[in-house]
Amino acid sequence: MIKTIIYKELLEHLQTRKFVWTFTVCSVLILISFYIGAANYQMNLDKYNAAKAENLRQFSGLTDWLQVTGHHAFLPPSPLESIITGVSNDIGRSAEIFSRGELTSANSRYSNDPLFAVFRFLDLTFIFQIILSIFAILFSYDAVNGEKQQGTLRLTFSNPVPKDKYIIGKITGSFFAIALPLMLPLLLGCLILIFMGIELSLTEWIQLFLVILAGLVYFNFFQLLSFLASIVLPKPSLSFLSMLILWLLFVFVIPNASVLIAGKAVNVPSVDYLDYQKSRLRSQLLQEDRNKMAQFNPINTQDPEKMIQEFQEFMQDLGDSRNERLMDFSGRLNEDRQNKKGIQKRIALGIARISPAALFGLAVSTISGTSLDLDNNFIKNVQGYQTVYQQFMKEKTGILLDQGTVMMKINDDGENQPPPIDINELPAFVYQPVSINQNIKPFVVNLSILLVLNALCFTGALIGFLKYDVR
Amino acid sequence: MENINTPLLEADALTKAYEPDVLALDQVSFKIYTGQIYAMLGANGAGKSTTINIFLNFIEPTNGRALVDGIETHVNPLRAREKLAYVSENVMLYPNFSAIQNLEYFSKLGGHDYYTKSDYHEALERVGLEKSSHNRKLGDYSKGMRQKCGIAIAILKNAPAIVLDEPTSGLDPKAGHDFTDLLLELKDEGKAILISTHDIFRAKQMADMVGIMSKGKIVTEQSKKELQQQDLEQLYLQYILKENNQVQEN
Repeated sequence: MIKTIIYKELLEHLQTRKFVWTFTVCSVLILISFYIGAANYQMNLDKYNAAKAENLRQFSGLTDWLQVTGHHAFLPPSPLESIITGVSNDIGRSAEIFSRGELTSANSRYSNDPLFAVFRFLDLTFIFQIILSIFAILFSYDAVNGEKQQGTLRLTFSNPVPKDKYIIGKITGSFFAIALPLMLPLLLGCLILIFMGIELSLTEWIQLFLVILAGLVYFNFFQLLSFLASIVLPKPSLSFLSMLILWLLFVFVIPNASVLIAGKAVNVPSVDYLDYQKSRLRSQLLQEDRNKMAQFNPINTQDPEKMIQEFQEFMQDLGDSRNERLMDFSGRLNEDRQNKKGIQKRIALGIARISPAALFGLAVSTISGTSLDLDNNFIKNVQGYQTVYQQFMKEKTGILLDQGTVMMKINDDGENQPPPIDINELPAFVYQPVSINQNIKPFVVNLSILLVLNALCFTGALIGFLKYDVR
Repeated sequence: MENINTPLLEADALTKAYEPDVLALDQVSFKIYTGQIYAMLGANGAGKSTTINIFLNFIEPTNGRALVDGIETHVNPLRAREKLAYVSENVMLYPNFSAIQNLEYFSKLGGHDYYTKSDYHEALERVGLEKSSHNRKLGDYSKGMRQKCGIAIAILKNAPAIVLDEPTSGLDPKAGHDFTDLLLELKDEGKAILISTHDIFRAKQMADMVGIMSKGKIVTEQSKKELQQQDLEQLYLQYILKENNQVQEN
C-alpha cells in the first residue's frame, strides 16, 4: 500500500512542469556553485602561495635578522570552504608576526574584493537554505488540501486505505521526488571537483556528505511543515501564504533578530575601543620608560662598548617589563571582551536556533570548518607560531622587538659586508585546522535539534491527518 | 457468492445530527440486495450525500448503522470499503496521469495489484472510452469521459456494492444514456447499487426501488412495480411541495 502511494507521488511530481523547472534550476545552480567553488579554490590557492613566496622574498638580501619586519602568517584556503563558504570570506586571512605583542588577523577576501561582499558567493549553503527550502514549499503546500479541493482524496478514501499509511507514503514520496533527482547534480558537482583537480581527503568527503545530509534534513523540515499547513488550513492559497511568511521568519527574520537582540542584551566593547585603551597604556608606559632612560646611570663609564651593552640590557629589561604589563592589561581587556562576546554569542545562537535555517547554517559551517571558530583557530595557530618565532629571533638577535619597533645597526666596516641571512631558516607557519572530531559535536547538536523539529512537524501532520475530514 | 438474504447495502435507522436539534438524517432505513438498484431522490440538502458519506465512513452516524455486506462501516471501515466502490458526482482523477495510470493507481489502492495493462484497456473500452484516449492525460478529458473513467475504476474494484453520488448530473443525454446502460449491466452482474440522483426519468428507468428523501427522512419508498402505475414526477413534487408547505406554515 505505502509503496503504491510513494510510487504515485513520485510519478505525479515527476510528470509536472513544476518539477522540470525546479530540477533544471537546482541542477544549474548546484553545478555552477561547484564550478565557481572549485575555480575560487584554485585562485585562492594561487594567491596564498604567491603571498607566502612574496613574504619570504621581501627578506632576501637582508644581512641581519633584526631587519626582518612585516613577516606574515597566512590562512591557507581549504577545498570545502569554496563550496560552503561560511565566514571564510569575512575573516582576516593573514596576520603580521611580531616577537612580542598582540596578534590580529587582517585582509579578508571581502576587504580585498568588496564587490563580492555585495553579491556573496553562490555556495551549497545558499542553495539549500534559500532555494531548496522554497522549492520544498512549492511542492508540498497543497499536498493535502489541494487533493481535497481536486476531489481525489474522496475517491482515494473510498478504498481500504489507512490514513496513517497514506500520509506517510505521501510524505515519503514527495521527499524522494525532489531528493533523489537532486543527487544527480550533486554527484556531478563532486565530479567537477575531481576533474578540476581539487583533491579532497577522505575526511573532507565525509564532511561534504554530512553537509548534504544536513541539507536534506533541512529541506525535509520545510516539506513536513508545508504538509502540516496543507492539513491544518482549508485552502492551498492560505497554506502557501502561511508558508511564505514562516519561510521569511525562519530564513531572514529570526537569524537577524537574534543578532540584534543579543547585541542589545550584552554590550561588548569594540576592538577600536580596546585598541584605544591599549594605546593609552602603551603611551603612558613609554613616557615612564623615557623618564627611567633619562635616569640611566651606567656603571662602566670608561669602556664605551660595555656601556652600550649595559644600555642595551637596560633597554631590554625596560621593554620586557613594559611588554609584560601591556600583555597583562591586553589579556584582561581581551578576556573581558571574549567573555562578553561569549555570552552574546550564546544568546544570539540560542535565539537563532528557533530557526531551522540558522540551525542548518550553523551545522554545515561547523562541520565544514567555516564557522565563527575559523578566525579563533587561525589566531590560536598564529599565537602558537609566535612562541616559535620569538625563540628563533631571540636566538638570532639576542633581543626581542615590540610591534613597530625598529633597531638600526650601523656597520662602519665597509669592506667586510656581512653575508645575507638564510631566510629558509625562518620557522614555517603550519596551519592546523580544527579536527572533524572537535566539530562533530556541535554539528550533531544542531542537526539533532533540526531532526527534533522534523519529528514535531511529522507528528503534527500525522495526528492532523488522522483527524482530517477527507470529504 | 453473497447470501441472497443478506443485503449488500443496508441503512438501519441511520440518524445524523450535526447540531443537537438539527437532524441531517432521521431514522433512514433501506436494504439493497444483490442485483438491485436503489435510487435516492431528493432536493439539495435532503440527506442523500450524508447517507453516502456514512456508507463510506467519511462521517459517523449519531445513531443507527450502515452495513456493507453485513459489515458495519464505522466499526470496520477498511473491510467495509473493500466491498464498496464509489463514483462521485464529479469524478476527479489525477490530471497529470493518463487514464491507464489512474486506473492502475486506484486499482492498487483497492487491493487489486494483479491487473495487467490489457485489463485496464478492457475496462476502459467497456465503459465506452476509445483506445486512443487511454494514454491521454486526464486533464484533457471531458466531464463525461472522466465519469466513464470513474466507473471503470469502480468496475475494476470488483466490489459487490457500488455507491454513486449523482453520477449523471452535467452529462449530455447520450452520455447519460450510456451510463444508465452500464449500470444496468452491472446490476445484471449481481452488484448492489445505491444511487443518489435528481434525475427522476433515469431513476424510474433503472431503479428497482426509489426512495424519496426530504429533510433527512425517506418520505416514501416505491418499488419498480409500484412506479409503473404512478407518475414518479408527480409523486416527487407532491412530497417535496408538502414538505415545503409544512416549513412555510411553521
